[in-house]
Amino acid sequence: MKFSNRTAVVCAVAMALTMAGGTAAAQGKADDGLALGRKMLAEDNPGDLWVERGQRLFTERRGPKNASLEKCDLGMGPGVVKGAFAQLPRYFTDTDRVQDLESRLLTCMVELQGFKREEIVRNRFGTLDRDSDMEALVSYIGAASNGLRMNVRLTHAKEREMYKAGEYAFYRRSGPLDFACVTCHGESGKRIRLQELPNMTKAEEMREVIATGWPAYRGTHSTVRTMQHRLYDCFWQMRQPDLGFASDLSVALTTYLNHSANGGEIKLPGVRR
Amino acid sequence: MKPANHFVVLTAAGLAIAGCAGFPDAETTAKSAERMVNEAHTLGAPALIRRSVQDDSQRACSMIGGTGGGANLSQEQSAAIVKAARDSIQYPASGKLSGDWKTGEQLVTDGRGQRIVNGQVEKLPYNGALCTNCHAIDPKEVNAGNVGPSLAAYGAQRGNSEAVARYTYERIYNAWAFMPCSNMPRLGASGFLTPEQIAHVVAYLIEPGSPVNIKP
Repeated sequence: MKFSNRTAVVCAVAMALTMAGGTAAAQGKADDGLALGRKMLAEDNPGDLWVERGQRLFTERRGPKNASLEKCDLGMGPGVVKGAFAQLPRYFTDTDRVQDLESRLLTCMVELQGFKREEIVRNRFGTLDRDSDMEALVSYIGAASNGLRMNVRLTHAKEREMYKAGEYAFYRRSGPLDFACVTCHGESGKRIRLQELPNMTKAEEMREVIATGWPAYRGTHSTVRTMQHRLYDCFWQMRQPDLGFASDLSVALTTYLNHSANGGEIKLPGVRR
Repeated sequence: MKPANHFVVLTAAGLAIAGCAGFPDAETTAKSAERMVNEAHTLGAPALIRRSVQDDSQRACSMIGGTGGGANLSQEQSAAIVKAARDSIQYPASGKLSGDWKTGEQLVTDGRGQRIVNGQVEKLPYNGALCTNCHAIDPKEVNAGNVGPSLAAYGAQRGNSEAVARYTYERIYNAWAFMPCSNMPRLGASGFLTPEQIAHVVAYLIEPGSPVNIKP
């Protein structure tokens, strides 16, 4: 049953994307067709299936310790998911680290449920053959903040350290192609081929990017992808070595980017190409 | 306490409070961010991990708040980047700076090459030249980016003289010789493209038979 649902969704999405692409090609413009495709998808967002599965994974007793995640503190108190996405990344006393949603979930799944860290990291990104628990949990927790506004506070010194490191990394050029994030994301109205690039130095564009996706259902991937995956994918395209999952560098960039989206109204999971 | 001492104490207290509520300074930030970069990549051979290490020009082009074109560079920095870029430029053994435009055509729309997954570089016979990722070139091609300027009719406007071929070749080989910190990658200098490949791309841009220069 689950499989046939999923298949139906994948087909619907493929159709919507094809139609969107056709419109774009006909008009010679990228944005109109893509906007139409997104609108069609948003009305019946396949990501909702990941939200449901994430809720189940959060409340079910699982793992070697047969525990749910209802004692997982995402910054709002044990088990509280509402508003958690809006204030992440943030500093956590127990780990003495600044953590984003994924790295915090990783901590909870290891500490509370007894899963092996390597196992979670290996399955961090879903494939067509295997769903990722992380992608489902992030979808659920993201959606639990819907209607709230991004509010990353930077009250702890380590949060401010992360923010500044993220800003530094955003402008840091390296690799065989001399890319930094800002190479593609420093001006408005730019595209790589037909893919529009948000200007990440502009708050109004960032509020949209962060508050309405990631997590986002990616039509070309047939799954929900998280911010960690978005950053990993950028590093891949920049010809950088694999970006370590939940690495400080990834959390620093997310701290910088999420903070710049403060005030954005959350509507997750998003829908992306 | 003398008023002057009061001032010192108050200033010190003020600075301490500012330190608590404020952001780390640039030097501290650079140090912690560089540590994070060093720790972020663990998969793959050392040569691949080293891609995240900057050369001097990249470091100078990474100023916070800067964008392509390096508007915040000092004259000395600019000169150093241009000199390093000029010194990097090598030419095809044949001496021919304009090669075969048909081979060039295949390269300019090819956006692949050198990407890493799980510590392994994608296996390809050659790297694409990545041009249409950012530039409109063939007027008939819709699937082109706009991060860089349009190059449609490039040769029709400039001709295909030796001087145009040389300028175009050098500009692709190392864009920073002309515009320090340009968004454009230093495609020849980094070894991403061979001198021969660049000559083929030059031909595609400047030769009269190329679709780039045929009136639509």
